[in-house]
Amino acid sequence: MRRRTGLLFATPALLLFAVFVLYPMVTAFSYAFFHWQGTTRGEFAGTANFETLFTRAPFTTDLPRALLHNVLFFAGTMLFQNTIGLSIAALLHARHRSRRLLQTLYAMPYLVSPIVIGYLWTLLLSPTFGPVNTLLTSIGLEEWALPWLGDPTTALWVVILVSVWQWIGFPVLLYGAALGGVPEELTEAARVDGASHRQTFFRITLPLLIPAIGTVTVLTFIFAMEAFALPYAFGGSTGNPAGATDFVSLLFYRTAFDSGATDAIGSSSALATLLFVIIFGGAFAATAVLRRHERRITA
Amino acid sequence: MTRTGRTIVALAILTAALTVTACSPSSSSDDSPGTGDDVTLTVWSWRVEDQAAYDKIFDAYEATHPGVTVEFKPFKATEYNKILATGLAGSDGPDVPQVRSYGQLQATVASGALVPLDGKVDLSGWDENVVESAKGKEDGKVYSVPLATQTVQMFYNQGLFEKNGIAAPTTWEQFIAANDKLLAAGVTPIAVGAKDDWTLPIVHEVLAAPRFGGKAFRDAVTSGSASFTDPNWVASVQVLKDVEKYLPKNPTGVAVTDAQTLFSAEKAAMIPGGSFDLAVLQKANPAVKIGVFQVPPAPGSPSGSEATTAGWADGNFAVSAKSKHPNEATELVKWMSTKEFGQKVADEVKQLSAVPGVEYSDPLLKQMADNYANAGSPYLLLTDFRYGSPSGTELLGKGIQELLLGSKDAATVSADLDTGVKTWFTPVA
Repeated sequence: MRRRTGLLFATPALLLFAVFVLYPMVTAFSYAFFHWQGTTRGEFAGTANFETLFTRAPFTTDLPRALLHNVLFFAGTMLFQNTIGLSIAALLHARHRSRRLLQTLYAMPYLVSPIVIGYLWTLLLSPTFGPVNTLLTSIGLEEWALPWLGDPTTALWVVILVSVWQWIGFPVLLYGAALGGVPEELTEAARVDGASHRQTFFRITLPLLIPAIGTVTVLTFIFAMEAFALPYAFGGSTGNPAGATDFVSLLFYRTAFDSGATDAIGSSSALATLLFVIIFGGAFAATAVLRRHERRITA
Repeated sequence: MTRTGRTIVALAILTAALTVTACSPSSSSDDSPGTGDDVTLTVWSWRVEDQAAYDKIFDAYEATHPGVTVEFKPFKATEYNKILATGLAGSDGPDVPQVRSYGQLQATVASGALVPLDGKVDLSGWDENVVESAKGKEDGKVYSVPLATQTVQMFYNQGLFEKNGIAAPTTWEQFIAANDKLLAAGVTPIAVGAKDDWTLPIVHEVLAAPRFGGKAFRDAVTSGSASFTDPNWVASVQVLKDVEKYLPKNPTGVAVTDAQTLFSAEKAAMIPGGSFDLAVLQKANPAVKIGVFQVPPAPGSPSGSEATTAGWADGNFAVSAKSKHPNEATELVKWMSTKEFGQKVADEVKQLSAVPGVEYSDPLLKQMADNYANAGSPYLLLTDFRYGSPSGTELLGKGIQELLLGSKDAATVSADLDTGVKTWFTPVA
C-alpha cells in the first residue's frame, strides 16, 4: 500500500524524465546504428559508424588527441583544483566568522558563464593588447610574456588553469561541508594525545574525508570528460591553435554541425555514444572503488 | 553509505544523457494553415543584421505581387545550421530557407528537403563558380539561387601608405619593399590573426594564389592531373612562412578580432580579408581610408599566372520541399535571380550580388566586383574541398598554424592536406 502511494507520487517526475531524458537518449543511441543522408535515416548500419571513429580521418588523429586532452584536463583539475580547494576549505574551517563570506567569494566566478570567462581571459592574455603581457614586460619579465593561447604547449594549460580558477569554489563548498561532518571529539582526542596539526590532518581528518574526495573525483571526471564551453570560448570549435585545445565534445560538435559530410548524424551519434560509455564506465568504476573504501572506514 | 554511490551513478547517467540528447534532431508540429487566398511565405536566414534591409526588399516584392506576404525571419548565425535542419525536417519550417553553399549544402540536399529548380530559374550567363555553389554534387541539379559573391583580397590603409611613400604594389618586389619600409617605420605590415585557423586558408589565397596557379591549378587538381603535393602548391604554402616577419609577433596567439583592431588602430597597414569584412573595417574606424589591391605573383609562379581575386558564392536561397505554397515560393526565388533583386542586395544589404551586371555605388565594392569579374578564381579549398570531412579549409588552416609555429614545413603541411582530402575526394576527369 505504502509502496504504491510512493510510486504514485513519483509518477509525474518519472514521466518527465522518460519523455525528456530517457526517450531522446535512446533515440540518439539508435541513430548511431543507422546510415544517414542529411536528416533522412537510411538502412541499418550495424557498427559501421563506430568503425568510422577508429578508421577514418579526421577521427584517427583527432579522437585520440582530444581524448588525451580530456584526460589531462581531469588530471590537471584533480591536481590543482581539488588540492587547492581542500587546502582552502581546511583553512576556512578554522575561521568561524568570515567563513561564509569567503566561501561565497570563492564561488563567485562560477556564477559567470564559461563563454564570458573564456572571452575575458582571451582579452587579458592577448599578446597584442593584453594587460597580462604588458604587466610582465613592464616589471622586467619580458621572457615570461608568452603568446599564452597561441602556443600549443601553454594553451591547454591556460584552459585548465582558468577552469580551475573558475571552479575552485566547488571543492571549497563540498569539502567545507565534509569537514563540518568530522567529529570534533576525534581531532580533540588526537591533540590531547600530543598529535601536531599536521598529524591530525593527515591521520584523522583526511581519511575521514575519503568519501567526499571520492565524490569530488567522480564529479570532476564527468566535468572533465564533458568539457565544452570554456575550450570553445578559448579555441573555437577546432581547438586552436593547431588542435592544442581540442576536446571530445568539440570534435562531436564539429562532426555534427560543421562538417560537410552527409552522414554526420551517424558518426556524431556514434561519438556521443562512445563518450557516454566512457563517462558511465569511468564513473561506475570509480564509484565501485569508492564504495569499497567507504566500507573499510565504517567497518 | 551506498546512497552517495547511487547518487553519483545517477548523476553520471543524467549528465551523459544530456550530452547525447544534444544531437537528436527532433521535429515539432505546430503550423498555421494558409488562410483564404492570401499567402504568407516565410524566409529563414542567418543574417540578423540585415533584417531592415530585407524587410525593405520584400516590401518591394509584395507591392508587385498582391496577395503574397513575405516574412523574413533571421536566426543566430552560429546556431542556424541546427535550426534549419530541424525546421526542414519538421512541418513548421520555412518556405524559402537561406542555405549554405557548395559542400555545406549537400547534407540538406541529401535529406530531400529542397526542391530542384532546374527549368524554373534561369542561371545562364552567371559565373560558373557561383552556379556550382547551388548544385547537388550527386545529381548535378540546381537546388538554390546564389545570393552573394564573396571575394578575398588585401585591404590597405591609404594614409599609412602615403605617409611612407608607398603605392599599391604591382610586382612582388614592390610588395616586399613596401613591407620592409613599413616594418622600418614601426608599423606591423600585415595584420593576420592566425589564432583563428579558419582565416588562414583565406590569407593563403590572398598572398599566394598566383604562386600555385589560381584557376588553372584548380582545374588540374579537381580533374586529378595535379595534387596538393605539387611543387607549386608547396611553394605557395611556403610563401606564408617567408612573409612571417611581416605579420604580428607570435601570429598564432593573435585572434582575427585583434588583427582587425591592429588595422583599425592604424598599427598595421594591410589586412587580408573578405568582401564581408569591409563594412566591419569601415565602421571600426571611419577615419581610415581603405584601399584594395590584389597581391602580385610571388617569384617562381607558373607562367601565365597573374594576380587574382579569389571568390565564392554565399547565402543562397532555396525552396523547401515541405512548403505549402510551392508555386509562390518558387516565384519568389525566381525573382531573386533577377537583376532587380541583385541591385537591391547591392544597395541595401551592401554585398556583392551574385547576379551578373549589378552596379555598385561604393567604389571599393565596385573595385572588388570588377577584380573578380576580370581576374577571378575560385577559392578552391572552399568551393571544391568542403564536400567531405576533413575539409580542405580545416586541414590547411591547422597546417598553416603548424607551419607558423615551426612544427611542420610547407611540404609536410601540403602532404597532410593531400592525404586528408583524399580520404573522401575523387577527381572527376
